[in-house]
Amino acid sequence: MPDGLQFRHKKSDYPFLLPAVIIVAVMTQVPFLMTLIFSFIRWNLSRPDMARVFYGLRNYTYFLRIRSLSELHQFYGVFFQTVVITLMTLLFCSILGFLLAILFDHQVPGVNIARTLILGPFFVMSTASGVIWKTTILNTTFGWYGVIAKALGMTPVDLISYYPKATVIALFTWQWLPFFFLVILAGLQGIDKDLVDCARIDGANWWQTTFKIKLPLIVNHLQVAIMLGLVFVIKEFGLILTTTAGGPGTRSYTLPYYVYMEIFSASNVGRAGALATMTVLLTLVLVNLIYRSIQRRNAQYR
Amino acid sequence: MAKNSIDEVRQSAALRRLFRSFLLAVLVYGVAVLYFFPILYMFLSGFKTEAQAVNPHIFFKPTFSTYQKVLGDPTMHQYLKNSLFQVCFGTILCLALGIPAAFAIVFGRFNKKETPGKFYVWFITTILLPPVAVLIPLFTWYQKFNLINTPWGLLAVYVGTHIPIVVWMVHSFFSDIPKEIFEAAEIDGCTKFQQMLRIAVPLARTGIISAGLLVAVFIWNEFFLGFNLTGNPTATLPVYMARFREQQGQFVAQLSAASTISVLPAVIFGWLTQKALVKGLVAGAVKG
Repeated sequence: MPDGLQFRHKKSDYPFLLPAVIIVAVMTQVPFLMTLIFSFIRWNLSRPDMARVFYGLRNYTYFLRIRSLSELHQFYGVFFQTVVITLMTLLFCSILGFLLAILFDHQVPGVNIARTLILGPFFVMSTASGVIWKTTILNTTFGWYGVIAKALGMTPVDLISYYPKATVIALFTWQWLPFFFLVILAGLQGIDKDLVDCARIDGANWWQTTFKIKLPLIVNHLQVAIMLGLVFVIKEFGLILTTTAGGPGTRSYTLPYYVYMEIFSASNVGRAGALATMTVLLTLVLVNLIYRSIQRRNAQYR
Repeated sequence: MAKNSIDEVRQSAALRRLFRSFLLAVLVYGVAVLYFFPILYMFLSGFKTEAQAVNPHIFFKPTFSTYQKVLGDPTMHQYLKNSLFQVCFGTILCLALGIPAAFAIVFGRFNKKETPGKFYVWFITTILLPPVAVLIPLFTWYQKFNLINTPWGLLAVYVGTHIPIVVWMVHSFFSDIPKEIFEAAEIDGCTKFQQMLRIAVPLARTGIISAGLLVAVFIWNEFFLGFNLTGNPTATLPVYMARFREQQGQFVAQLSAASTISVLPAVIFGWLTQKALVKGLVAGAVKG
């Protein structure tokens, strides 16, 4: 074999890859490692007099220690809220997204325009949708909710302060449903029309064709939507800040919001680092759980 | 007599079908408009005066004065300029760095066969990392080196966190190109760089444009990092919108006009990407 040819085969294309890898590593992996290190250090920005020292696991135990069951640290509540808000949002997005996709799979004149309208909220910045919902829809005196409730003879309650979690879940769902809709619709449009026609001829009704034939065929798409949705919903921050601001009290805090408060209100870098690390852990655990259940399901069907 | 009744049955069946599709259309459009309503109402309220905006009405005498006022506001200009800076440079840099990476992952030669796959998975996993995981050290560094008050600090984070999305989406479009084309080009003396620029990029241009638009939308809308890593001179539009959060019912018209201006470009760009979004995000994942 001539030397030249051999040389060519040995050549690798790292120069194409490295610039991207380096900047992604420097901007994501390195800061994450630093976060991990910070979480073991005592470091309070508002107390420059206190030396930064190795603090062991005390930043973690500050949140996790259980003195008595009746007065758990608020971390447990926030953690639980994060899981509930995220999973409820994903549940509503899945159910409503599927039903909406079924409805919009029909051939209606100009259905593409209608689909595009549904997609809109997905591309709206979270802070804008937060302030818009808060002032023009949910406000009890100036918003549509208040006006309609009064017209129906009811006294509108301030949903944001009375039902903060439900409000946050509803708004997250409004923002993320279009994504689920888009992905599931793509799945529905990939279904072989003959299959559905066959079932109809065999006497399957709407319920059966929808849930016994179409649903199993788009489960893969639904899973993709849930995985990506999880990753994005768990880090939502702008909507909470602009609507409930975590309140009342800490009733609609989620972990990202808690981290933010820990740095900017408490100025405690070490504790914020511990919280951020636990947020990453929660994300990984949830992704893993969903991924496992997908694998198990796929194994069953094979 | 018999023929008549058959015709009647046929007619009534056709009528029923027509009625059904009419109901379906009403339902489809009703749901769509209702879902879109908050955005639509925001757009409309921008044409109101403050006095009109206090009462929720769809029908009113429109005025351009609120939009004029918001567009003429120098603080708005500042935020708009900062957002445009981040989006333009961020998108260009993400594409310039992400496309070669995707190209190398799909068509590149490496010493080991599994290397490209490993890099691909690595890029994807960085998408899983929530921004809170990177915020704290960046915040302390940026404070220390005063990067808070220059746009470059935020730009660096945006490029670093959005390259994986470009790699992910463009990867699926590059995978559709037959490898033989590149072998032929190589025999004709085309360098790897030329192969990418002259063959792969033009062939995958719809995917690349969509990836670029999607990244532009993401950067335009990004709030968490933009909020925490910028100072007054560098803050972007989502930060500006967040400043309206404390106002209960005041300046509703102004708020609506400002949010329309911040939201409209992203919604329009987003609509343009929807097909490629599904392909890029779903294609790889559904099979895997």
